[in-house]
Amino acid sequence: MHRRSVLGAVVVLLTLAGCADDPAPSVGGATASALAASSAPAASGGVPVQAGTLPGAAATVAPARLAIGKLNLTARVDAVGIDSATGDFAVPPSIDKVGWYRFGPGLEATAGSIVIAGHVDSAEQGKGAFFRLRELGPGDTVAVTGSDGAVRNFTVVAREIFAKTAVPLERYFARDGAPRLTLITCGGPFDAKTRHYRDNVVITAQPVER
Amino acid sequence: MRLRRMVAALFVVAASTAVFATPAHAAGPSKVSVVHGIPGQPVDVYVNGAKTLNNFQPSTVAGPLDLPAGKYDIVIVKPGDPVTSPIIKVDQAAVPADANITLVAHLTADGKPTLTPFVNDVSKVAAGKARLVVRHTAAAPAVDVRAGGQPVFKNLTNPNEAKGDIAAGTVSADVVLAGTTTVAIPAASLTLAEGTSTIVYAVGSATDKTLGVVAQKIEGLHSTPGGVPSGTGGLLDEPTPWGLYALAIAGVVALAGGAVAVRRRVRA
Repeated sequence: MHRRSVLGAVVVLLTLAGCADDPAPSVGGATASALAASSAPAASGGVPVQAGTLPGAAATVAPARLAIGKLNLTARVDAVGIDSATGDFAVPPSIDKVGWYRFGPGLEATAGSIVIAGHVDSAEQGKGAFFRLRELGPGDTVAVTGSDGAVRNFTVVAREIFAKTAVPLERYFARDGAPRLTLITCGGPFDAKTRHYRDNVVITAQPVER
Repeated sequence: MRLRRMVAALFVVAASTAVFATPAHAAGPSKVSVVHGIPGQPVDVYVNGAKTLNNFQPSTVAGPLDLPAGKYDIVIVKPGDPVTSPIIKVDQAAVPADANITLVAHLTADGKPTLTPFVNDVSKVAAGKARLVVRHTAAAPAVDVRAGGQPVFKNLTNPNEAKGDIAAGTVSADVVLAGTTTVAIPAASLTLAEGTSTIVYAVGSATDKTLGVVAQKIEGLHSTPGGVPSGTGGLLDEPTPWGLYALAIAGVVALAGGAVAVRRRVRA
């Protein structure tokens, strides 16, 4: 009897401690990987020939607003690039905004990952737009309004949590594979000395057929 | 200039005395594109006796084709002409393995049709950057390439290239005779997409007043951002220590309870 109660206490401790570290475990990773790996059928026939005209600006539909009903969230989306000082994604400093990676696909894309990243929180401004992002799971809906005014709906298929040192960024910043929406923020344990989180939380969502 | 030497080493014509060493390891095919930079003359292109490009128009880009490493006979004729009356003929052109190559049909500095191979730099560009390559393949003297009015590539001669990785975006560029402000090719707006290489060929003839440009784009050279730092508050993590302390206390209580139970059993 005593053995059982000791064992029970240890199991409870381990289980709850695990939850505290990782309250939203990864789900749907295989689906997210499959989307990244899928490719359009190769064109067949003769040698492709293109006009050698100088490249002009591409017609891109930038995400302008993001709405996630489950999180009671609406946020403005700014087009952002790279922080020249660090080489990192230039997440908008204002924590109530989120940033679309303007070098990657826009909403018009027929392939690749549309990336929107936002702060989970900030030391100065408190909770960020993506504070509860890790609560999203498969089946939840994300609505993105484009610069053209049209709303596109996406269905979450995966929530993955990676240590920042191991996050497969090439998969999420890919310009090929199935068209998909990728939402990124921080998560996991917080290092109070460096003031950084250990992990990235990555949500993958697929476009809803219109 | 250095590229020219590299190209010479990689792509050896039969007339040359150099020998291209085939690597011993299993090697993949090369991506080969063809740029037509001779104004006013459509052509047919034969590779190893087979017509590969039919009525190939000036200022167009064909390919890329996957070609296994090996030696190829390339013949360029006027449309419909037999291979026995070529405009350009290259015997036993060596295509290396695993390379990205552009064959440019163009005029030499003194106006004769020729075929020059260039090896394309398909290394990744840093996130936020684009690669600009300019190749002088025109019957014209040395030139400078200016962007926003400032010379960026100086004293470029036929058949050589200059290149650089610059911030992605739109630039206005023109070509002037080297060391002068005499415009050879007027300014054009150029959108350099992030993670791509844009290769601009100066083509045509200064004497014939047919100078112009042909552009080739290579995509998929993008890198990822270094990371996605998106939290400095620690608010997400804050409850955790208290939760753990509470759990630890609960655990100790449970263990103590167990110990009490043991003692009770021993007494009984």
